[in-house]
Amino acid sequence: MEDQIVRLISRLVAPFIQLYGIYIILHGHLSPGGGFSGGAIFGASLVLLALSFNLAAGVKQISHATASYLESGGALGFALTGLAALALGGYYLANGSAGFPLGRPGELFSSGAILLITVFIGIKVASTMVTLFYNLIEGEARDGVSEKPEQ
Amino acid sequence: MMVEHFPVLIIVLPLAGAFLMPLLARRQVKLCWPALLLILVLVLGMAVTLLWRLDSSGPYFYHLGGWPPPWGIELQVDFLRVYLLLVVLGLGLWIAVYAWRDLEHELKPELIGWYCALYALLIGSMAGIALTNDLFNLFVFMEICAIASCAVITIKETRECLEAGFKYLILSAMGTGCYLLAVALIYMVTGHLNFALVREALPEAAALYPNNVLAAAALIIVAFAVKAALFPLHVWLPDAHAAAPSPSSAVLSGVVIKIYAFALLILFYRVLPGSLLSAVPLNEVILWLSVLGIVFGSIFAMVQEDLKKMLAYSSIAQIGYVFLGIGLANRTALVGALYHLLNHGIMKALLFMAAGNIIHAAGLRRIKSLSGIGPKMPLTMLPFAVAGASMIGIPGTGGLIGKWFLALGALETGRLLIVIIIIAGSLLNAIYYLPIIINAYLNPLSEGVSFKPVPRLMTASLLAGAAAVIFFGVFSKPVVLLLERAVTGFF
Amino acid sequence: MEFLKSLSNNYYYLVAIILFVIGMHTMLTHANLIKKVIAMNIMDASVFLLFVAVGYVRGGAAPVIEASANRVYVNPLPGALMLTGIVVGISVTAYALSLVTKIFRYYGTVDADEIVEIRSQEQ
Repeated sequence: MEDQIVRLISRLVAPFIQLYGIYIILHGHLSPGGGFSGGAIFGASLVLLALSFNLAAGVKQISHATASYLESGGALGFALTGLAALALGGYYLANGSAGFPLGRPGELFSSGAILLITVFIGIKVASTMVTLFYNLIEGEARDGVSEKPEQ
Repeated sequence: MMVEHFPVLIIVLPLAGAFLMPLLARRQVKLCWPALLLILVLVLGMAVTLLWRLDSSGPYFYHLGGWPPPWGIELQVDFLRVYLLLVVLGLGLWIAVYAWRDLEHELKPELIGWYCALYALLIGSMAGIALTNDLFNLFVFMEICAIASCAVITIKETRECLEAGFKYLILSAMGTGCYLLAVALIYMVTGHLNFALVREALPEAAALYPNNVLAAAALIIVAFAVKAALFPLHVWLPDAHAAAPSPSSAVLSGVVIKIYAFALLILFYRVLPGSLLSAVPLNEVILWLSVLGIVFGSIFAMVQEDLKKMLAYSSIAQIGYVFLGIGLANRTALVGALYHLLNHGIMKALLFMAAGNIIHAAGLRRIKSLSGIGPKMPLTMLPFAVAGASMIGIPGTGGLIGKWFLALGALETGRLLIVIIIIAGSLLNAIYYLPIIINAYLNPLSEGVSFKPVPRLMTASLLAGAAAVIFFGVFSKPVVLLLERAVTGFF
Repeated sequence: MEFLKSLSNNYYYLVAIILFVIGMHTMLTHANLIKKVIAMNIMDASVFLLFVAVGYVRGGAAPVIEASANRVYVNPLPGALMLTGIVVGISVTAYALSLVTKIFRYYGTVDADEIVEIRSQEQ
């Protein structure tokens, strides 16, 4: 389906959705929202582009491989942040008590490990949305040949 | 000291490993299994170290992020938890060794990396269930475990696998939904999620809001009965465990259903107040359901024609023994149930692996078609016979010890009927395990069956399992002593 | 009367339980696999609703503490828990839907009864 209006609007809107997603991720420790909500918004913008154009256009934004790398990387980043606290002498996922700089409450760069973790979760969720979408679409194309309904 | 952090590392390492696997699979698929085994060995080593530390300096709690209970998630390390951890990780490692060679032939190469990821996720989540001391954390681990176990069933994407996996997913979602509602009801009246704090607050809350707490207890029973396939809610298990690839069946039947029985045990006697249990005889419900499970699981198993389906039904009967120990509510029976949990894990995994070997070598699944394969596959059928003997409870095998303690526990409470049922259950087991073994050794081979060689590692892990069955049958003392220390806090 | 009064004060419990039962019933009895997945979500949502309702404080603000303002906040814990619950629910839903598409590719239908029929015809 090619619809000029949908394409134009989604192309116009996508950067703003992405910016909003990033804003929500970065302000996760200051206001309602956070890694999951922001990541979902960011991922939705990429899915929107792929939906209104086609898969190739979506893949040009972020390829399937990159998305999977980011997905694993985000989760590993979370785990590593927790392990970093161990290395610093605190408990797993410890924040202030492990020596992460807490900053002043209310400022953007505050709250130590929470900001880091929110960013990692944001990356993870956004890329998961995209990989989920790609997998569903590509699965159709890839498996369609070998798994026709048996008559 | 680093040992202090081992509980959380035991959970995090497999989970992080699960996310590493897809990356590894894109670079070097061959490294996936070695990496998985390395993680499992490492984690098992940590669990053994924990046991050693526990022996010297006693139980302790681990607070995630350094936040104490009302705020943070708490992991508990005591003998019971570490015992479960050792069972999960030990069996997990053993089955993974077997799966390595088996799945190379059974799965498409591009799926190997994903299978490793799922396996690591499964082990990590079960370790989490074993250690966690928090109601909601338990829910999260249960869901991870449910998705991972569905995925190891459906990974082959045949029709049977998909249908069985979907059925399992829906029913287990019902189970976790019930559990989450129970958590909501408990949180509503106590304001806590930590096991110890909930236990403190519940007697008072139960006096004020009896309906809430009763409903929560009922929902918990339903949730874990579905998850662990207690008798009337077992319908998903036969299809799921029979359709899955053999290593998946082994880990699901051997370990996963047990971990839910364990979670029910913890919730029942460490969270719900004793006054509630004495007012409403909930453990009687569990007791009689498990009795029904022992009888009917065996009867269903007898009429099966497919080997793996028979083994799956037999699991329903055997999980009945574990629940019997929970329902009898005394220490001796509980020791028996926990011992049976370990032993049934070994023997059922062993039987599924042997079935996997037979399918791999000759492509046979029907019980009738197994005649005469004993002399042809001696190293597969010998462990099968050992595990079958252990199922029946022949002296010298691990299966006897668990049932022995269960029967002693039943006698302590003066329930002769239960003792009779335990013995009758063993006889029922004999009715369907012995014919297979006799048929395999004494009858002539049916025509047109050809045998492919089985990889040595698969056979070796079978023999190791058979050795373990006999080991735990002869040298039961250390484990029983450990278990007696583990159950001291109960009742 | 007393019962009705307490019911009207706690109507969200009732709504949650009704939704839960609707979800569970549909999930177990409906033949359409997609509807089963939807019902699973309804069931989850009912518990989320109950949890969040329990944590709500009338007139409370979002639980972001500001040093200057001195006011009542809603209980943040249920919200945080339910966010986790929602994430878990999403993953289960995504997985269930992918299974349904695979099953559809084999049978050409998502109706469990029809699938049973197709299988019985094959045998």
